[in-house]
Amino acid sequence: MGAGPAIGHRHLGLFLVAPALATVLILFVYPLCYSLVTAFVAKEGGFTFGNFLRAFEFYSVDIAFTLVIIGISTVLIGLCSVAIGGYLTLGENPRAVAILKWLYRWPLFIPFIVAAQCMRTFLAKNGLMNNTFVSLGLVDPINTISLLDWRGIIITFVWKQLPFVALLVAGAMASLDRSTIESARNLGAGRLRILVEIVVPQVQQTLMVGLILSFVTMMSVLSVPIMVSGGSPTMITVDMAFRINSYGDYGTANALGFISYALTGFAAWIYLKRGVSQGGKP
Amino acid sequence: MASAALDVVELEVSYGPVRVLKQVSLAVAAGEFVALLGSSGCGKTTLLRAISGFVSVAAGRIGVSGRDITHLPPDKRGMAMVFQSYALWPHMTTAQIIGYGLRLRKVPKPEIAERVRAILAMLKLEGLGERMVTQLSGGQRQRVALGRALAINPEILLLDEPLSNLDARIREEVRHEIKALQHKLGITTIHVTHDREEAMVMADRIVILDAGQIAQVGAPEEVYNRPTSTFVAAFMGAGNAIALDVRPAGNGLAIAAGAHNSALGIAASDLGPGLDAGHSGPVVAHFRGEAARLGPVDGPGQAWPSDHLVLTGRIVQASYPGGHYRYAVAVGDRQFMVDDAQRLSVGDAVGIGLPVHALHLFPADPQKPGG
Repeated sequence: MGAGPAIGHRHLGLFLVAPALATVLILFVYPLCYSLVTAFVAKEGGFTFGNFLRAFEFYSVDIAFTLVIIGISTVLIGLCSVAIGGYLTLGENPRAVAILKWLYRWPLFIPFIVAAQCMRTFLAKNGLMNNTFVSLGLVDPINTISLLDWRGIIITFVWKQLPFVALLVAGAMASLDRSTIESARNLGAGRLRILVEIVVPQVQQTLMVGLILSFVTMMSVLSVPIMVSGGSPTMITVDMAFRINSYGDYGTANALGFISYALTGFAAWIYLKRGVSQGGKP
Repeated sequence: MASAALDVVELEVSYGPVRVLKQVSLAVAAGEFVALLGSSGCGKTTLLRAISGFVSVAAGRIGVSGRDITHLPPDKRGMAMVFQSYALWPHMTTAQIIGYGLRLRKVPKPEIAERVRAILAMLKLEGLGERMVTQLSGGQRQRVALGRALAINPEILLLDEPLSNLDARIREEVRHEIKALQHKLGITTIHVTHDREEAMVMADRIVILDAGQIAQVGAPEEVYNRPTSTFVAAFMGAGNAIALDVRPAGNGLAIAAGAHNSALGIAASDLGPGLDAGHSGPVVAHFRGEAARLGPVDGPGQAWPSDHLVLTGRIVQASYPGGHYRYAVAVGDRQFMVDDAQRLSVGDAVGIGLPVHALHLFPADPQKPGG
């Protein structure tokens, strides 16, 4: 009879999965469900849409601002990662390729909060960037401008997330059949054309996955908008922290969280849909 | 050679410290089909890639119709290459791939469509224009790769082992198709292959490469029947080699009788390019298994025609590859592969009869005693 060992194996499998499953349930699913539910609960108890009404009334500009900031960052990350991957794949100066390969990954190992701190000293009115421009005679000291606003957030996001996407994209480009590039070259295509028409279409799935994961990551970052741009408008994460720290208003914070989930959920849905269409490939 | 469509002069290519092409010179006439033949690592693909511009040249010159293209990038050379892996773009349809080179040349869309239609018809790919290449069979993909190259009417067509991924039956068909197409279109073609038969069937001229140098250039019959070196002889199928002794005799040579071979006189006119008529001393004789005959051993030279060298040995292995039997015959401490129509048994004593025209003689290499 084979039923005994089969059941034994099944139990063993469940036993092995149990710690990971418990961690997910306790640390992720429970708080997620709790915050989703409480987004619809009034302070005095009972079901309400009041939290959402308040969230939209006070923070609709910030919601739009968040989407614009992250949208622009995602597009820039996409363009820059294709440029980096493209140069690593098609570059003809071996020394420049080696230097770029060595340099571009560094921000990957720097936490967001450190990246934000770096950018504060770099992008401020009297920061390193402006001081360098002034010392090079490119800008008058009186005309220097601080980029510690929405532009600073985008620069920080792009700087921090670019290596991650570039790593994925460059890896995918490196694993392409080299002769598909050479065949286009052989027919007379220049390198930019090869990048756009031959290389990027072949790595677009990987690029898409990298961008979606970056989008989701950036949606959850609190330190960068707080440290780089303290003013208004700001991002949803800052508003959530503010509602909780200043008012103890978990209801509105959770409503904002719900909106955040909806936006990242939409991105995750695209990711999963692509994963399924590729037979489970990441 | 001012008239050469492709002129390679004293070409040298290195990969790091290793020189992979040494002083290679080759002139290809317009409309000629030349096969670069050699074993793995001989430099044939490197030569093709140097011609196409994917490998930089250390020394020498490459000219196309009198223009020096040695240092031009690959996209400026006006050549079209068919890659071993076909290198088709998986995100494009068959028609898009074939028309890509024309699009790069800014040919108007209706003209591209017309040309693509003509190429599809010529390559028997009608109806597959809108199909993604991932949905095509190996043979069809090979044709698409060829179509993409032919669509731009290249001055020179480069084929990098384009048939090696096809199964044997389709490969034979495609060989003849490509040859017929090349003949019809008159495109100067350089074809890299390690398949001797493929080179023989397709090429007007064969260039045999060995260790980065040209070992011999000639028409298929010439390199097959008149090899100039032991390497070419062995590569062209004359893999059996036996050490003999010769001395000048009359206007030719005489092979001295040995422990396992009969004596034989060879007229100077029967000597190949590998050996001079005045040679004296040890030589190595190469011969093909299919050029030999097996017969009884009733005294070397007696039952055989006088223009045959006879080796005496014993069958140690027999097989039937189809159409004839193949025997491993031990002669002294060496074994030779010989084909014969008659069925013989392992252990039989036999004579291997070699007609004089089947022998390719070369001075013995002192580094390789016994041939």
